[in-house]
Amino acid sequence: MVTTLFPQTQNTMRKSLQTVFVLLVSLAAFSCGSSTTEQSFDSSRLTRMSQEEVEKVVEAFILAEDSSTIEIPEGFYELSTQLILDNRKSVTIKGAGMDKTVLSFRNLKSGGEGVKIVGNHITVEDLSIEDAPGDGLKAQHSDGITFRRVNVTWTNGDKSKNGTYAIYPVQCKNVLIDECIASHSKDAGIYVGQSENIIVKNSLAFGNVAGIEIENSDNAEVFGNTARDNSGGILVFNLPGLPKSDGKGTKIYDNDILNNNHENFATPLGDGPNGNTVTMIPPGSGVVLLAAKEVEIFNNRIHNNKTTGVAIASYQVTGFPTDAPNWSPYTTDVFVHDNSYERKALSIPDLSRELGQLISVHNAYGPAKTQDIIYDGIWDTGLSKTIDSNPMRVCIQEKGMENLHFTRFYLMDGEDNIESFKDYQLFQNCKVDVTTDVSALAGL
Amino acid sequence: MEKMNWKACALAALAALSLLASCGKNEEKAQASASPLPEEAPDGKYPYKRLSTYGFFEGELKALYPAEEVVFYKPASSLFTDYALKSRFVSVPAGEKASISGQQIDFPTGTILIKNFYYPADFRKPEGERRIIETRLLIHEADGWQAYPYLWNEEQTEAVLKVVGAETEVKFVDANGKDQIINYLVPNKNQCKSCHNQSETMAPIGVKIQHLNHALDYGAAKENQLAHWQEKGILEGFEGSEAYPAMINYEDPSQSITDRAMAYLDINCSHCHSAGGPASTSGLFLTFDQSDPLKLGINKTPVAAGKGAGSFTFDVAPGKPDESILTYRMRSTEVGVAMPELGRTTIHEEGVELIRAWIQSLPQ
Repeated sequence: MVTTLFPQTQNTMRKSLQTVFVLLVSLAAFSCGSSTTEQSFDSSRLTRMSQEEVEKVVEAFILAEDSSTIEIPEGFYELSTQLILDNRKSVTIKGAGMDKTVLSFRNLKSGGEGVKIVGNHITVEDLSIEDAPGDGLKAQHSDGITFRRVNVTWTNGDKSKNGTYAIYPVQCKNVLIDECIASHSKDAGIYVGQSENIIVKNSLAFGNVAGIEIENSDNAEVFGNTARDNSGGILVFNLPGLPKSDGKGTKIYDNDILNNNHENFATPLGDGPNGNTVTMIPPGSGVVLLAAKEVEIFNNRIHNNKTTGVAIASYQVTGFPTDAPNWSPYTTDVFVHDNSYERKALSIPDLSRELGQLISVHNAYGPAKTQDIIYDGIWDTGLSKTIDSNPMRVCIQEKGMENLHFTRFYLMDGEDNIESFKDYQLFQNCKVDVTTDVSALAGL
Repeated sequence: MEKMNWKACALAALAALSLLASCGKNEEKAQASASPLPEEAPDGKYPYKRLSTYGFFEGELKALYPAEEVVFYKPASSLFTDYALKSRFVSVPAGEKASISGQQIDFPTGTILIKNFYYPADFRKPEGERRIIETRLLIHEADGWQAYPYLWNEEQTEAVLKVVGAETEVKFVDANGKDQIINYLVPNKNQCKSCHNQSETMAPIGVKIQHLNHALDYGAAKENQLAHWQEKGILEGFEGSEAYPAMINYEDPSQSITDRAMAYLDINCSHCHSAGGPASTSGLFLTFDQSDPLKLGINKTPVAAGKGAGSFTFDVAPGKPDESILTYRMRSTEVGVAMPELGRTTIHEEGVELIRAWIQSLPQ
């Protein structure tokens, strides 16, 4: 059942690695173990609220009526139970400011997330959520959800204790995430899954494994954000076997995607990846597409990501089973244009993840060369015998393309026959129309 | 971009420790003192503040001796809740009946499902001294089911509505004669929905035909409990046990491992892990009749499991119970890892063994 295209035979990979290992090991010191526990503000200065004040908030969520506002005054609230808003319409949950109202779930004893929202036309704004054992702020089965100026983070020094997603709308329609901050999550900071009609804008994601991730979702625009110091900056994935099987239509533009060189702490350091795809993201990834459909990436500043600025990959690179109904493992219809790239001198690609090793060892510019754009070159041979006709419709139109590091791999004959090419010309002078329409979100 | 140094680390650890220490003192103990509450009359406006106001039980409240119109019931298998024992009753409004249509029981407005959670002081004498912790009501109101948790006082004379939840320490001697202490968590009202949820509508879990379609000992005689309900005049449309599916008790060692495992997964997991449940996001569907290997988690990678995945690749790795995320999460008590997410702070050892045996039996 497991596709044997590429990585899962680590042994062979290790052998080929040995040849360049001596060269890399001296440089590795520069690139290993980058980590941050930076906080946007110091929440310990806030007044600790009494048990009664905390229970008032819990009760306000439970007793909330339609078309009401739950105001949470300035202060530090230590919760031992979840805050759940259930099946309400037009409710606003409002704090006194991201650095003024802090809901801490450090003492939560059960429950998958700190704050959970189900309802229509719900807004959460001007507050912070800290230290939820699972996810920070989750919305599910909601139509019309706005998160504005919400900061979700973890304050553990040991980041292996952090939770999964910071801001987590899933199975939602009409999602607006605006001016939010998401940091230090073990998976994605801002994660929109199995949803449609999505805007993520003017937000900041840092110190996460994945900064911003759009997964199995339709019709998304991600713009004006900063994704920095994550392992991977901005991700567009489609995973198999989900109720919302394959998503399409994502535009990523006007973002700063910088220094995403954080160690991948989704699994304990030294442990390899597990079945969560995010554990495979090599530190130093700017934008990663995996089994993505119809994605346009333009006008972004993609700077100083040590492994690759943009990675265009099919699901086969995970080595996981690729059989699933109504879903395709290929990444198709991609348009990458008018972005700015910078590679830092002395930075070398990741060696902790197989995709990083592939890039380090096999890129077309020599061992340990950071790449601007890589394409795994996996195509559906049912459509075309060769890749020359660009059967997966990947179009790249960057200024100064000849000065960028572009590698197209050939991985389809097993790990002993990996090849790489600089042939960006195959993917130029074409255009993919990616259509998104988020006008329905104008009223949110 | 700064590397954590040991000082910062030590400081953080100190801060964490002091937080833990201080919260330990403030921990709310379950003290549902009835005294400050005014008397209330059973005016039909639910929910009442006190459990006694409903008049479900005759005589001493803690004896849980049901009034005439209140009927005892028991599902074939029980959802594990930290080894708590449960006694369940249904109250259908006088003159009305629940009815079976297709494979589903529809209850009339005003129906109340009553579930009491208690611990015997000594599990070797389950009928002996006991402490009732909470009583959860599911009330079928005009706009659907609503859940209301009632917390019992220490004197065991009353239980009071507590929508924000609570926690309380429970001590007992287990079936092997060992002393046990559990930090029992009473869910807040909206957490109830985390399990009692079908397509975002509050729904009962146990009162489905397949869970109730079995014989129960009513003292005088053993009888199929749905037939018993029909005789009592609170149910119509039941056409005999053969006409409907019936779950087995996962504790019944005479049944096959597969059937027992499916019964266990259904009652413990499927309320979330089904197409209409909150965990539909995962694509892992654990209903008793699930036959699609991918949906059962066999060689299926996780989706949003986070640290719940441990160091493993698949939800269920056939033949490899100790490399399966399913058993890893059942064996954990860490919030964020442990499954189910609510209602369990201890490990259900017997349940883990059953699921291990099932995974072991799957062909690789």
